[in-house]
Amino acid sequence: MFRRALLPLAALGALFATQALAQPKTEITFARFFGACEGDYGTSQDVAKARGECGVMTTLVNLFNATNKDNIVVKPQIIEWGPYYQQLNARIAAKDIPTIAVMHAAQLGDYTRYVEELDGVLKEAGIDAADFTPNARNAVTVGGKIYAMPWDTHSWLWHFNVGLFKQAGLVDAQGQPLVPKSAEELMAHAKQMKEKTGKPYIIMATSGAGDFANGARGYYSWLYDQGGSIFPNGYEKADFHTPASLAAFGVFEQLAKNDYITKGLDGSGGLGGFMNGIGAVYMTGTWRIDDFLAASAKPGGALSEGYTTRIFPNLFKNQAVWTDNHSWVLPKGGSTTPAARKAALVFLKFLWDHNFDWARGGGHLPSRQSLMADYAKLPLRQYVVDIPSFGRALPHEVRRQFGFQNMIGEEVANIVNAGKTAAQAADAAQERSVALLRGR
Amino acid sequence: MAEVGSGIGQSRWTNALFVAPYMLILFGLLIVPLCLGIWLAFQDYDMLGGWAGGVGLENFQNLLDDRIFRGTVRNTIKFVLMTTPAFVVLGLFLALALNNALRRSGILRTIFFGSSVLSVTIVTLVWRLVYLPDRGLLANALGLLGLPGVDLVTSQVWALPAIAIVTVWWIIGLPMTLFLAGLQQIPPELYEAAALDNAGRWRTLTGITLPSIRRTIVVVAVIEVILQFQLFGQALLITGGGPDNTTRPMVQFIYEAGFRDLQLGFAAAASQVLFALMLIAALAQFWAGRRQGA
Repeated sequence: MFRRALLPLAALGALFATQALAQPKTEITFARFFGACEGDYGTSQDVAKARGECGVMTTLVNLFNATNKDNIVVKPQIIEWGPYYQQLNARIAAKDIPTIAVMHAAQLGDYTRYVEELDGVLKEAGIDAADFTPNARNAVTVGGKIYAMPWDTHSWLWHFNVGLFKQAGLVDAQGQPLVPKSAEELMAHAKQMKEKTGKPYIIMATSGAGDFANGARGYYSWLYDQGGSIFPNGYEKADFHTPASLAAFGVFEQLAKNDYITKGLDGSGGLGGFMNGIGAVYMTGTWRIDDFLAASAKPGGALSEGYTTRIFPNLFKNQAVWTDNHSWVLPKGGSTTPAARKAALVFLKFLWDHNFDWARGGGHLPSRQSLMADYAKLPLRQYVVDIPSFGRALPHEVRRQFGFQNMIGEEVANIVNAGKTAAQAADAAQERSVALLRGR
Repeated sequence: MAEVGSGIGQSRWTNALFVAPYMLILFGLLIVPLCLGIWLAFQDYDMLGGWAGGVGLENFQNLLDDRIFRGTVRNTIKFVLMTTPAFVVLGLFLALALNNALRRSGILRTIFFGSSVLSVTIVTLVWRLVYLPDRGLLANALGLLGLPGVDLVTSQVWALPAIAIVTVWWIIGLPMTLFLAGLQQIPPELYEAAALDNAGRWRTLTGITLPSIRRTIVVVAVIEVILQFQLFGQALLITGGGPDNTTRPMVQFIYEAGFRDLQLGFAAAASQVLFALMLIAALAQFWAGRRQGA
């Protein structure tokens, strides 16, 4: 009888002992975009096999949750990138704040009041800020202080369907596509492409709320090639009527007038269109390189005769290109306990240590200078590795950069889809910029 | 007996407990936010930066001066004018056609209502594939007929009607169901009497059916006006407000001003304009409905 009573007591004691010894779980929230792909990567921990932004991000979180020694659980909060900042704003206003959040460096200027300064934090986490590339350091530094851990540098590229370029006779002796060096040359190449293949030279997605960034990134790149700025007279008043601005809009006007650019395509239509050979050049970012390489490896596909990529071409004076950076911020109030804050730093360090995995799988340029040489050895990356040296972005003093990107992109879409002239687009952008900067 | 019935008709404070849960929700989730919204419309309120004092009518003045906002008011009214009559006429037509006990009518009623349960994301995804230039269902269908493809979503004339078509396809089920309920309230004796008088189909429709469901028609029209003034998801996901702002509705403007550009006061002012428009349109329909009934 005594033994029968003792047994459950012993089991209970063992249970308490186990619980006392086990470290309590620390959950931290991790707000990000980059898509959701649990179907493909839900349980994967093999980062080397992960492809694309979503694959790498999901696998990294899986790996961290499975292997960290501190019993930390990272809970991803995945939001579509289009409305990401709108939702983050609402969450900050409602005090529902994530522990760690992804942020484009271009947005940091608007958020410095709401995210922690990281100079000391990075040191505490064991992250060496001296290893930041100059581009990445500049991107996360506002008023001399670091507000985010840079995760990459990304930029705008031309992706080439080499088969169509061969068909149009627009290749050099090595069979590589000829990249235009002026707006006139671009139009001449586009004309030749249309005559020889019947297809538009440029594919660009211009329809749908998430696609407006495309036109803005092209506009910025051609503006920067001319040494231009939309804020020549201080950051509180934009000027879209400078010769450089009109010329940047003008390239799109010429392309649209002559039907050298696709009209009315959304993001998936543009991507699918390029994969199916509806046009010769696809304007999109560094993050698509691996997807297109994989597509070109499939026999019989539209890219099977060759795919390559180049930096967004300089049509004017000096090579420059739009760049931005994904980065990680610690929103103020996101770490509710010291344990959560410590866990956030452990996870940031883990991400820092896997920056190359992100660059390899996600396609972006690494934010660590020490990884650049290895990055350049990846397929086609030799063509993009120089981007950080001449990449440009709006200064952090410019408020509402997300609004500007959207508005400029809409006006480029209006040129492409609605037949606006460059001057009309500049007029509209000018008027809308006043409304955009009216708030605080 | 007198003691038992003495409480009836008497006012006791405890009676209020029966309506208290509803009133709490009404005040907490409707009246208070409504009043806050009206107050916000006269303030300089940044979503992240907080409150910086009252600005009087400045937000409304800025709205008046804003060409994009004026465009959204035009677009929204146009959209309501396109869709509401379509919902009433098409909903009534479907209800009349399917108001019987036949098995196939039951199946068709389910099919027509079925699309209403889909989310706006799914609906717009499907219709984007229909409208896709060159390779979409519409382009392919026209191609089969030997006709040139049309690019509806990039046309400044056709983009808004294209969104109206999506909307009608999506939620025609609700007006149809309301009309079916109305039709089933009509006493069958009226139709029997009309048949005895040799009334034709048209005469029966105009003499019995339509007068009998007059209130349902007003209800459907008012519901649709209120719903369609709130156009947002379809426009955002199909055209993003383009081309050249010809499909940007007021709610998208409010969303962008408040959540993207952080100008909550300005966005609240735009919300009040939308509220006023909806109120005027709904009251006008009620008034017209009552006058006809008088």
